[in-house]
Amino acid sequence: MTVTLLVDSLVRSVQVGSLYALMAIGLTLTMNVVRLPNFAHAEYITIGAYTALIVSLGVSSNPLLILGAAFLVTALVALGSHHAVFRPLEKHRTSTYTMLLASFAVGLILRYIVFLLADYFELFDRRIQIPLEVWYRSSVVILTNIFFWVVPTSIGLVIAFSLLLNRTPLGREMRALANNFDLARIIGIRVGRVVNLTWLLVGGLAGVAGALWGLYTSVNPLIGWFAILSVFAAAILGGLSSFPGTILGAYLVGLSENTLMQILNVTIGLDFSFKPAIPFIIIILVLLFRPQGFTEFLRSNRGLRR
Amino acid sequence: MRNRLLVLLCVVGILLVSGAAIAQDDVETYVLGVAQPFTGPLGSFGTDFTKGIELAVEEMNAQLEQAGLNIRFEAVSIDTEGTPDGAARAVQTIVQTTGAQVIVGPLTTSEVLGAKQFADENNVVIVAPASSGAAGAIPDDNIFRVMYPPDNFAAKAFAQIATARGYQNVAILHMDDPFGNGLAEQFQEDFQALGGGSVTVVRYAPDPADVTSEVTRLSADASQLSGSGTTAVFCICFLADAQKVLQIAQVDPVLSSLDWMGIENLANPQLLEDQNYSAFLQNANFVSVSFTDEQTPVGREFVEAFTAKYGSVPGPFTNYAFDAANIAMLSMLVAGNDGAAVKAILPFVSNHYIGTSVQGYLDEYGDQAIAYYGIYRVADNGSEFELIGTYNGSADKLTLEE
Repeated sequence: MTVTLLVDSLVRSVQVGSLYALMAIGLTLTMNVVRLPNFAHAEYITIGAYTALIVSLGVSSNPLLILGAAFLVTALVALGSHHAVFRPLEKHRTSTYTMLLASFAVGLILRYIVFLLADYFELFDRRIQIPLEVWYRSSVVILTNIFFWVVPTSIGLVIAFSLLLNRTPLGREMRALANNFDLARIIGIRVGRVVNLTWLLVGGLAGVAGALWGLYTSVNPLIGWFAILSVFAAAILGGLSSFPGTILGAYLVGLSENTLMQILNVTIGLDFSFKPAIPFIIIILVLLFRPQGFTEFLRSNRGLRR
Repeated sequence: MRNRLLVLLCVVGILLVSGAAIAQDDVETYVLGVAQPFTGPLGSFGTDFTKGIELAVEEMNAQLEQAGLNIRFEAVSIDTEGTPDGAARAVQTIVQTTGAQVIVGPLTTSEVLGAKQFADENNVVIVAPASSGAAGAIPDDNIFRVMYPPDNFAAKAFAQIATARGYQNVAILHMDDPFGNGLAEQFQEDFQALGGGSVTVVRYAPDPADVTSEVTRLSADASQLSGSGTTAVFCICFLADAQKVLQIAQVDPVLSSLDWMGIENLANPQLLEDQNYSAFLQNANFVSVSFTDEQTPVGREFVEAFTAKYGSVPGPFTNYAFDAANIAMLSMLVAGNDGAAVKAILPFVSNHYIGTSVQGYLDEYGDQAIAYYGIYRVADNGSEFELIGTYNGSADKLTLEE
C-alpha cells in the first residue's frame, strides 16, 4: 500500500468520522434524554442538506449562512415532529417499540415529502453551490476548502456540545433527565422546556451535519438514509449512552470504512462494494461481544466522563 | 290504445337499457400490468414511464372503440421501489390480484431479474422497456427487452472509441450491480480483442454515501497504468454517483490529467450546469455514448400527445415505455390475455413494430437487436453535449469525427 493511499484514507477517515460524530451525538442525545431510538434522524440530516442546497441556489453561497439556515430549519422540523407525534404518544405512556415504529413513520413521511418537493423543483442529485478550491496540496494529500469547512466545523460543534452538556445549567438538566426522568421532574426541572431545547439541538446538529455531508457529496432525498446505518454503528459503539464513546465510535466507523477498507482492498483485493457491510459488521460484533460499547472503558478514564 | 303505447314504450326502453347493459358486459377488459419504481432514486423515471404507458393505453382504447371492437385495456400500476425484491413483489401482486399475464416493466436489469423467476414459473410475460444489462440476455425466458438495446452494443462502441482515440490502458470505475458488471466485463473483452492493453477495475456498492476511497484507488490504478501507455478512465456510474466522483477527481492530479469516458447518464446537461464539472469534462476530452434520440413520426406524435396530456415533455426513455406498452397490447390483441400465447407471438409483433425512435427487432434472447448510438462530447461553450459520431450496433460500425 502506497503512502499516498494510506495518508489519503486517513484524511478521509477524519473527515467522514467528524461528520458521523456530528450526526451521532444528536442520535445519542435523543436516546438518553427522550429515550427514543429515532430513525427519523436520517430525515433531519436530509432536510439539513436540502435547506443548505436551496439557500446556496437561491440566497447566498456564504457557508456560514448556509449552515445557520440548515441548523434553524431542521431544528424546527425536529421540534415539530416532537410536538406532532412523539409528545402525544409519550402522554399515552407508549412503549419504546411503538415509539421506534412511530419514528420510522415520521421518517417515511418526511422522506416522501422531500421526494415530492425534490421532484417538483427538480432538485435531485444537486451540489451545494460553494465553489471548490484547493487550499492545501502536497505530494501525498490534497485538501480542499470543503475539508476545512467540514472538519473544523464538525469538531467545533462537537466540542461546543460537550461544553454545553458539561458546563451549563441546561446541560446539567439534560443529564439529569437522562439519568432519571421522574426524579428530574420532582426536583423542579422544567422538563418540557429541556425536552424542547433537546429536540431543537438534535435537529439543529443533524441539519448542520446534513449540510456538511451535502457539501462533501451531493444532495438527494436519501442522503440521510444512506448515512444513518454508519451513524447508528457509531452510537452503538458508544453504548447508546456515552457521548465521548459515540464520538470515538464515529471516528472508528470512519476509519473502518476508509482506511481499513483501503488496506483490505490493497492487501487481499476485497472489493469496495463490501464497504456498506462494515457498519453492519461493527453493529453485530459490538452487540455480540461488547453491548455496552465503549461506555465502561471510558468511565474508567477520568476526564472523559459525560 | 294510449296505455298500449305506454307499455310498448316501456318495453322498448327496457330492451334498450338491457341491450346497452349487455353490450357493456360484452366488452372484454385486459389488464396490462405496470411494474415501475415510483419511490426511491428512480422514482421520477417510473412515474414518467407510467404516464407514457397510460397514454398508450388511452390511445389504444380510443382506436378500439372507434373500430367498434369489444376489447379494452386497463393499466394497473404497482411500485417496485426500484429493488429486485420490490419488483418480484410488484409483479406477483399484479398477477394475483388482477389476473394480468403481461407486465410492462420493471425499469432496471436488477429489478427485471428479481421478477424473472416468478414470471418464468407462472407464464407471465415481462416487457421491459429500458433494461439493458448483459445479465438479462437469457434465451427462451419470459422476459422481452424491447426497443432499448442491451449493453453489449454500448460496450462495443466504447471499445472502438477507446481504440480509435489511441488509449492503451483503461481504468474502470463501476457500480457493482448486473448493469455495471456486465458493461465493464463486456468492454474489457471487446477492448482487449481490439488490441487494447491493461484494464483495471474498481467496483463500488450501488447508492454509495461516499466514494472517496474508491476514487483514491482509481487514481492509484490510473497512475500505475499511465506508466505503460496512454490511459483513460471509464466511469460506469449513475449521475448522482458521478457527481461524487467528479467532486474528488477534479482536484486529483492524476485523474484530472487523463481522458474520460462515461455512460450515457453522464451525458446529462444537468452535469454541465456546474462550471467545475463542465471545465473538468472539457479538459478530460470526455466522451459518452447514448442510444439514438432521433424521432420517427410516431415519436413526434408521442411527444405532442404526452405534452398535451400532462403539461410537460416526457422524461428520458419514456418513449420506450410507450412503445413497450403498445407492443404488449398488440400482442394481447392477437393472443388474448394468455401469457404462453403472448410469449409466442410477441417477437413477431415487435419485429413489425415501428417505434418512437427506432424499429423493434428482437434477437435470440428476446432483446432489441437494432441499435444506433450517438457519440457525444462537451461542446466548446461548455453548457451542452454535441454529437461527434455514431455507432451502428447491427453493423458494428463506428464513425467518429473529432
